[in-house]
Amino acid sequence: MKKIVIALLMLSLSFTAIFAQGSSETTKSTVQENTPIEITFWHIFGDARGQWIEDRVQEFNNMQDKYHVTQENKGSYRDTLQASLLAYRQGSAPTLVHIAEAGSQVAYDSGIFKPISEIGAFDTSDYIEPVLNYYTINGKVNSIPFNSSSPVLYINTDMLVQAGYDRDWTPNTFSDVIESLEKAQAAGITDAKYTDGIHAWFFEELVAEQGGYMYNNGNGRDSRATEALLGGEAGLRVAQFYKDLSDKGLLAWTGKVEDWGGSDNIFTNEKAMYHMTSTGDINVISEGAKGKFDLNVGMLPIASGTKRNGTVIGGGSIWLTKGHTQEEMEGARDFILYMTNTDNMVSWHKLSGYYPVRKSSVEKLDSEGWFGSDSLQTVAFNQLLDTIPNKATAGALGGTVYDHRTYIEEALVKIINGEDVETAMNEAIVLTNAKIKEYNANF
Amino acid sequence: MNQNKNAIFKAKVIPYLYLLPTSLVLIIFIYYPALKTFVLAFYRSNFILGTRKFIGLENFKNLFTGALAPGFIQTCFQTLAFAFFVVILGLSISMLLAVLTSEKIKGAKYYRLLLIWPFALSPAVASTVFSFLFNPEVGLVNTILQAVFNIKPGWLTNPYLAFFVAVFAAVWKNLGYNIVFYIAAFQNISKDPLEAAEIDGASRFSKFIHIIFPLLSPTSFFLLFTNITYSLFDSFAIIDVLTKGGPMGQPPFMDNVGMTTTLMYKIFLDGFGGSSNMGFAAAETFILMIIVMIITMFQFGIVGKKVNYDV
Repeated sequence: MKKIVIALLMLSLSFTAIFAQGSSETTKSTVQENTPIEITFWHIFGDARGQWIEDRVQEFNNMQDKYHVTQENKGSYRDTLQASLLAYRQGSAPTLVHIAEAGSQVAYDSGIFKPISEIGAFDTSDYIEPVLNYYTINGKVNSIPFNSSSPVLYINTDMLVQAGYDRDWTPNTFSDVIESLEKAQAAGITDAKYTDGIHAWFFEELVAEQGGYMYNNGNGRDSRATEALLGGEAGLRVAQFYKDLSDKGLLAWTGKVEDWGGSDNIFTNEKAMYHMTSTGDINVISEGAKGKFDLNVGMLPIASGTKRNGTVIGGGSIWLTKGHTQEEMEGARDFILYMTNTDNMVSWHKLSGYYPVRKSSVEKLDSEGWFGSDSLQTVAFNQLLDTIPNKATAGALGGTVYDHRTYIEEALVKIINGEDVETAMNEAIVLTNAKIKEYNANF
Repeated sequence: MNQNKNAIFKAKVIPYLYLLPTSLVLIIFIYYPALKTFVLAFYRSNFILGTRKFIGLENFKNLFTGALAPGFIQTCFQTLAFAFFVVILGLSISMLLAVLTSEKIKGAKYYRLLLIWPFALSPAVASTVFSFLFNPEVGLVNTILQAVFNIKPGWLTNPYLAFFVAVFAAVWKNLGYNIVFYIAAFQNISKDPLEAAEIDGASRFSKFIHIIFPLLSPTSFFLLFTNITYSLFDSFAIIDVLTKGGPMGQPPFMDNVGMTTTLMYKIFLDGFGGSSNMGFAAAETFILMIIVMIITMFQFGIVGKKVNYDV
């Protein structure tokens, strides 16, 4: 009997130890008068860009004493969204969350966010139209654009010159790309290839350039998408481009899909003449090319015989979670508008290479002479500013964007390995449709 | 015998009290989540949307029929193949190395230390090292191969090569762990039978086959189990960093998912990636549990009987 008592005592002791930490926390909540309203902001940037955010937070906190903003890096876009969902369900959601463009529909459907335009009017006329377009859902501005980019074509002009082209020549179409690579190969430059990270984002961009849709129901923008189109004819033309490159031995890749760093390495190590990747990588690639080769930037190549329609904006925007007081939400909105104001977007652009998403910021950069005649940024800007606003360039909305990206990437790999373009793309459509059916059955 | 054991505890409750802490940990961290997963497999549940709707066996139906089935079946097959190669190669290489390094040679101590080293690396670091080595365009392996033989194999682009690079990375990563156990086991086995065999004139090879191998069998049996678990569950980071489950195999059977997608990796992709279909992922987890159960039963039923615990 004595032993039982001792054992029970030990047990209760260990339980107290386990829960001790939990109980001590509940006792320390002291409410003061006039404490500023707490606003939390979760984002994905951990490097110098995270520091930039912290600096803006400090400035905002010093500017006024009604609100107090804290920022926190929560890892990848997915980690950040998942952390926010779990926090929301436990009643401790952050006020502001950084969401990827591709996660727009799932974030919207999760029901934990509130369209930012619902908490009082603010001026949206200063935002560049294609950017604002993406983040307008059901006619409402849903989130504030922050880090925006689109892909461009990076060119090793040393190879281009050796192939007999002018240094400032850029390819306009898929066939220009292939033809120039063939000429370079014929001139003995065996490393003259095309490379990209095999990311379906590029595929989507090349489809949008031709005005193609990824989903039915107006690219998922008129009503919930029920069927995958994956670009239809336009998609097949893009897939054919990869097939031609691969068949002719003109494609270089690491074997890993969505390999941003790997494809950058291939290009900066002079193993490719062309490289398609984000404008956001402009600084990284310029650094990598320095002292090795001359770099130029061109617009995305388009399919021969099609009209240039423009690019979809990629990147992230800032969303507001539900369940806060009107005051807190207004404060959160004001902070984000401060963080993305004209001057801040100028410095953001200089730091990161992301587009300054405001017209006034572009003008300011222009008046500073940022876009010199030889500026690599100019091409990227023109590509964005020349974009025709329509549902193709607004970007696809769907709960299965991440799924279809996987299936497109798998299809591209199959095509690179010799499978028929139409078979591979059809399989991707069938698989995406299966996922859409499952996803839509949740409603 | 049984009576004797009971005699240690006078009160009947005591043994259960001592079992309580372990049981609590097991229940909270293993049995309860496993049960929840089992239940979840019968629901349509989306992680992001937070939805939950009972749909019976539909998730299981989708695993074996319809558009998503070929990918799942290919993944199961690959998982078994991956586990087979990782375990067979991992155990035989490490046993051989352990026996060889146990020879009395100058510097063997340092050599043993170096062999154990890979185990100290995190899987993420190990696979990053491999991805640098085997990068088809700028990797060290191909740089050397191209300079010497003028060939450039697509280590990570060719599906079959990529599969074996992933196997090789997983084997290499776990080599240290296996070698530690084998060295310890080898140093513990009695030297008498080896000496007797030497006197009888047995060759090194027959000594290994007839004496060392059987005497190491308890360790092999234990390592077989840990290595199967390792290859099924812990290879996640290696695959995530090295290949992200790709590249796609070739028709007619291997072109449904990437060749290096194991079941564990697919569960993660389906549950937390894409459109986050938790119910579907739970159904896959359930199948994985069944596979592990069958392997374990096979192992204890058939292989277990052959283990020699006598010496």
